[in-house]
Amino acid sequence: MHTLKLLSSFFKVNVQMSLAYRADTIVNILLNLMWLGWELLSLNIIFSNTSTLGGWGFGELIALLGVFRLVNTIMMAIIWPNTEKFNQSIRDGSMDYTILQPVNSMFLVTFSRITVWRIWDLILAITLMVVGINMSGDTTTALHILTFMLLATTGTIVIYSLWIVLIALTFWFTKFDNNVTILHALLDSGRYPATVYPVWLRIIVTFIVPIAVATTIPLQALRGELNSGQVLGFFLVGVVSFLLATRVWKAGLKRYSGASS
Amino acid sequence: MTPTIIVEKLSKTYQVPEREGGFGAAVRSFFKRKYKDVKAVQEVNFSIAQGEVVGFLGPNGAGKTTTLKMLSGLLHPTGGKASVLGFTPWELKPEYLRAMTLVMGQRNRLSWDIPAADSFLLNQAIYRIPDDQYKQTYKELDELLELEPLMKKPVRNLSLGERMKCEIAAGLLHRPRVLFLDEPTIGLDITGQVRIREFLREYNKRTGATILLTSHYMADVTALCERIIIIHQGQLKYDGGITDLSHKIAPFKLIGVMLTDADSHDLSKYGTQVRNEEDADKKYIQVKAGDVTRITSQLLADLPVHDITITDPPIEDVIEQAFNQ
Amino acid sequence: MYLIIKRLWQVNWAEQWQYRANLLMYLLYWLVSPIIYLAVWTSIANAKGSVNGYTANDFITYYLVLLICDQVTSNIVIHIFGYKIQDGSLSGELIKPIHPVLTSVLINNIAFKVLTILGFIPVWIVLFFLFRPDFSHVALSGILLSIPAMILGFLVSYLLSAAITALAFWTTRVYSIHEFYFALILLFSGQFVPLPLMPKLVQDIAQYLPFQLFIYYPIQLILGKLSSAQIVQGYVSGLVWLGVAVLLFNWIWRNGVKRYSAVGA
Repeated sequence: MHTLKLLSSFFKVNVQMSLAYRADTIVNILLNLMWLGWELLSLNIIFSNTSTLGGWGFGELIALLGVFRLVNTIMMAIIWPNTEKFNQSIRDGSMDYTILQPVNSMFLVTFSRITVWRIWDLILAITLMVVGINMSGDTTTALHILTFMLLATTGTIVIYSLWIVLIALTFWFTKFDNNVTILHALLDSGRYPATVYPVWLRIIVTFIVPIAVATTIPLQALRGELNSGQVLGFFLVGVVSFLLATRVWKAGLKRYSGASS
Repeated sequence: MTPTIIVEKLSKTYQVPEREGGFGAAVRSFFKRKYKDVKAVQEVNFSIAQGEVVGFLGPNGAGKTTTLKMLSGLLHPTGGKASVLGFTPWELKPEYLRAMTLVMGQRNRLSWDIPAADSFLLNQAIYRIPDDQYKQTYKELDELLELEPLMKKPVRNLSLGERMKCEIAAGLLHRPRVLFLDEPTIGLDITGQVRIREFLREYNKRTGATILLTSHYMADVTALCERIIIIHQGQLKYDGGITDLSHKIAPFKLIGVMLTDADSHDLSKYGTQVRNEEDADKKYIQVKAGDVTRITSQLLADLPVHDITITDPPIEDVIEQAFNQ
Repeated sequence: MYLIIKRLWQVNWAEQWQYRANLLMYLLYWLVSPIIYLAVWTSIANAKGSVNGYTANDFITYYLVLLICDQVTSNIVIHIFGYKIQDGSLSGELIKPIHPVLTSVLINNIAFKVLTILGFIPVWIVLFFLFRPDFSHVALSGILLSIPAMILGFLVSYLLSAAITALAFWTTRVYSIHEFYFALILLFSGQFVPLPLMPKLVQDIAQYLPFQLFIYYPIQLILGKLSSAQIVQGYVSGLVWLGVAVLLFNWIWRNGVKRYSAVGA
């Protein structure tokens, strides 16, 4: 309950911040629409030359684009600004204040910044998913949609956990300023089904920087390609990676309070 | 009554990687690092009662900030014990964090992009301050610091002094019972320093909060603290009343003389020559308190003295001497 | 002049060398999209035999060469120079007796480029063995012809970006403008897919824009896919665009500096 209240406080503060930069918000939304246009055009170009990509149809790629944009929104609205603030706080020492606040520091570090206008992006992403699922005309059952939602959440948690680990590394390597670049750079791979990638790339985006876990795999669940064992497996991976990330974060904090001066 | 802050044999040793110059050394250190122990704080003991305002002094690198960080819970000590309000600080219990505050003059807690008012409301949520208590506290802080005109502007548009007022207020919204202040007046001009000082005195009087502060400005310390603790190279050097310090550590007086032909006379045989920036016309020597009469008459007899003054050495110098002992 | 360039080189090389760790990250950004497009199009070509006459090997060679051309012709002016206008630190550069954009920023950019190309060679070799392209139809003459073309492409791209960055004299939203410009490059340069696979309309417009000089034209030169008439046409359009870019940059720069000193930022 208190967590929700805190989140709403963060949100209010961030609304204030974005109101201070109103015109930028409008420009950002326009640019965002431009990129959406580009994404649709590029899919159109691909599908004017073929009817399936990696076995998936146009509608499914639209739905995938929706999932990708969901992950991208989380990246741009939460991961990116909070990482920037976190790196800054390590550099200028204001991390000390964060630690001394009577709230879970991992929560504080990861949710205190929210790029508010990206809510619009979220709506767009969900629209794309709904439209894409409808277009694909698959025999989508309610169960498939449920497992899709479950695995999309799981995938998001996996990426969140990886992010925690990456920024926690800064406690050991203070100069590790590029901590989320690897995540950000590989994010684009989530636009297309991982099945089209060569094996080595598929291994990278599934196991090392698991973008595909949040994009391709939930879509596979939607298509009914996963059996219940696999669904359960991925779900467990999500839980375990979150627990691991919490551990790494705590160890990082300990390191920080042991070594800083 | 048990003291609010108890520190027993508190120690902190850092391991600092030793690195030599050169490429070969860099490669070697990649595989096997050599570490050097730096003893930042060594077996420090003191205790502070509720409501006391204590100045915590020492030259740069003496271990002041390290000690404050251990007492606020940011650092784990490598040895010894500390208890603040009955808590062990570095366990970082939420109840403890809600009962104390750490304000560092060189670090910002407020967001630059938004008005302080919004950051204050965020702190209210983080510290779970009930609405009526928040309003009451804010009213009191506003009375003392005249915050209201500053609240609506983005923090980046405030002057340094205004920002510091907001920073301190932000750190006090949850009515902490213990305040750790690390250089709260650093970088401020004289009037700014005086404002903060007066505020702290008044705050202490009203709330009975315990305050431990470090400052480079001795005026902060002399105005606020009856008691000071001095550490140097990690070790406790002095703990006691500020007025006793000069008697104990530096039973000296300063004799200032104005001479006709100042440069041709050597005063070093009468006592240690010291510089005094504020009064460059005179030459100053420092002598033991007991020798003042004898040396004064000698000076008057030997030299063409225009004017002569006898004063206590400034507290800064006394403390400096304490450091150097 | 030679001495100035030499000293500038020393300073900027040292500066870029400081940031060599960031370089790896930059390489990663620059690598990901082309590899993804490569994977997408080869998978389609493999499934259908060919796409509009392009076989899987055509796509592989196209994108592997694209990595080189993109590396050589792209620039980072906006990053070196954009914030200098906005935070006012440009004033210090303006009073120096050399043109900031055409000397120090340019040399800084080139130092960055040399360093990235050094880092990029092993990466490219790894990619070569991962994708095993068949480069047998590539001739030395094509490679030689592509070098001045890429330099031309770099100069045009550099000056256009510098012109856009100089808009920062008027607006704080120069990064947004640059993002829009970046989208234009993506659309018209052949970065996403060889231009002939783009919609007819895009291809037609691309003929009248400089962007294919950055990517598509040098790639086709290296792959030996152009007739001599097309080669000449490409070079001529490159020189024309260089002239346009010089004039455009000069005009924006001069007015911008005038405005900057008038406002006294």
